[in-house]
Amino acid sequence: MHKTARTLHKWLMLFLGLQFVIWSVTGTYMVFMHIDYIHGDSLISNPQTKINPDKLEYSLAKLLQTYPKAEQISVGKLMQQDVYRFSIPTKTATQQLMLNAQTGERLSPLNQTTAIALAQYYYLGNEPITDVSLLTDNPPFELSARHLPAWRINFDHFSAPSIYISADSGLVVAKRHAFWRLFDWMFRFHVMDYGDAEEIDNQLLFWIALFSTLAAVSGLTLTYFRVLRRTTNKRKPMLSKRKHSGVT
Amino acid sequence: MLWVRKLHKWASVIVGIQLLLWLISGLYFNLMDHNKAQGRTHLNDTHADVVIETHRLLEPSTILATFKPSVSLNLMTLLGKPYYLLTHEKGLYNNLNHDYTLVDAYNGNPVVIDTTMAQQLAKASYSGEAEISSTRLLTPPLDDFPKQHNDTWQINFADNITTSVYIEAQSGRLVGHSDEHTRLADVFFMLHFMDYTNQGSFNNIPIMMFAFITLWLTFSGLIWVIDMLKRNRYRLKLKGK
Repeated sequence: MHKTARTLHKWLMLFLGLQFVIWSVTGTYMVFMHIDYIHGDSLISNPQTKINPDKLEYSLAKLLQTYPKAEQISVGKLMQQDVYRFSIPTKTATQQLMLNAQTGERLSPLNQTTAIALAQYYYLGNEPITDVSLLTDNPPFELSARHLPAWRINFDHFSAPSIYISADSGLVVAKRHAFWRLFDWMFRFHVMDYGDAEEIDNQLLFWIALFSTLAAVSGLTLTYFRVLRRTTNKRKPMLSKRKHSGVT
Repeated sequence: MLWVRKLHKWASVIVGIQLLLWLISGLYFNLMDHNKAQGRTHLNDTHADVVIETHRLLEPSTILATFKPSVSLNLMTLLGKPYYLLTHEKGLYNNLNHDYTLVDAYNGNPVVIDTTMAQQLAKASYSGEAEISSTRLLTPPLDDFPKQHNDTWQINFADNITTSVYIEAQSGRLVGHSDEHTRLADVFFMLHFMDYTNQGSFNNIPIMMFAFITLWLTFSGLIWVIDMLKRNRYRLKLKGK
């Protein structure tokens, strides 16, 4: 039993050892980095600016007259301004719109100046902006395509933060930084997702994890024989061996 | 090399059992039915088209002036009727602390979700056949949704997987379903994340300590394998004696 476990552990780990290293390194990264920090929650503020009901001079009735198909209507803030946000279903996609709630003036899609002002309004740091770009198609892997079109505003910080502001709603739709990007890589390596789909149920992971379980069981068997069995009922041989190894 | 072996041995004594639990729970995640594990067994997520009689809607400005100050007003429908959801305090995410008022969009009356309405909302999200067995209003933390920070109705159904539907008390938002499948998956998540106090998080001190020791275990193992390779200890015994 002892010998079988030894052979099994030795040979299995020749092939699986590296994956165990990858699991432990990626796992350690993920448990040490707080998930709220990874999500970028500390990058942005959560303003509680209240709507001023007296400023809503453009009525909902008027809005519905102009946009009879408006859905998911809401009233909220765009910095200090009161705004309406709603969507209009079209044949191909859903169009999102934003209006000034005082005048009814259309505010979307946002121009670069407003996007920059919004990013600075939300961003908690005080570093300067390094890059601003409008993304309309082919979003980077860190932004879901449903958030397009969006402005990406990068700030000059060692964690390379990017704030994504929807060009339609003016809301922060994503906040990313180097540690998020690294976390994403770590997770992919952890679940052995070496393709492009984010899947935890891949075949490679199954077989490696199955053989790894066997390797771990054989390792635990060895630990049992070499530590527990020895210290509990084989005190004498251990002592004599200790003397022996001291001599050699 | 002796200290590498000793390190490997004693690290395995400390983290060995947990390492096995990591592998077994990892295998479970690989094999589990994700729809079932996410509580979608009896989830009805089709939404019937609701026709809002727009001429009956009260003006948002009137509603906003009537209640305490709000950061947003959302027109939404619950059980086929339009409501304004006023958010007075908002959290960064839905599950975090919020303060809401739900207002009937036709008559402007504030609506408190009571047992009956909570049960109706739960039924609307439930695709099973079973009857409701019990309904309770819970204050966080919730065993099934440890990250939910707001008061929540729990509506239990008498089906064979003991489905519970969770409806946020102030907003009527569906928090989710839980049942025997999700609770089994939760056990494996607890084991994998060493979340033995059900915080719903993997950033806890025990797992950090174990992860750190596991690093020593795997790197000492790696050095051991490399050493054996160097000393030509990996030989296939092709011939018998």
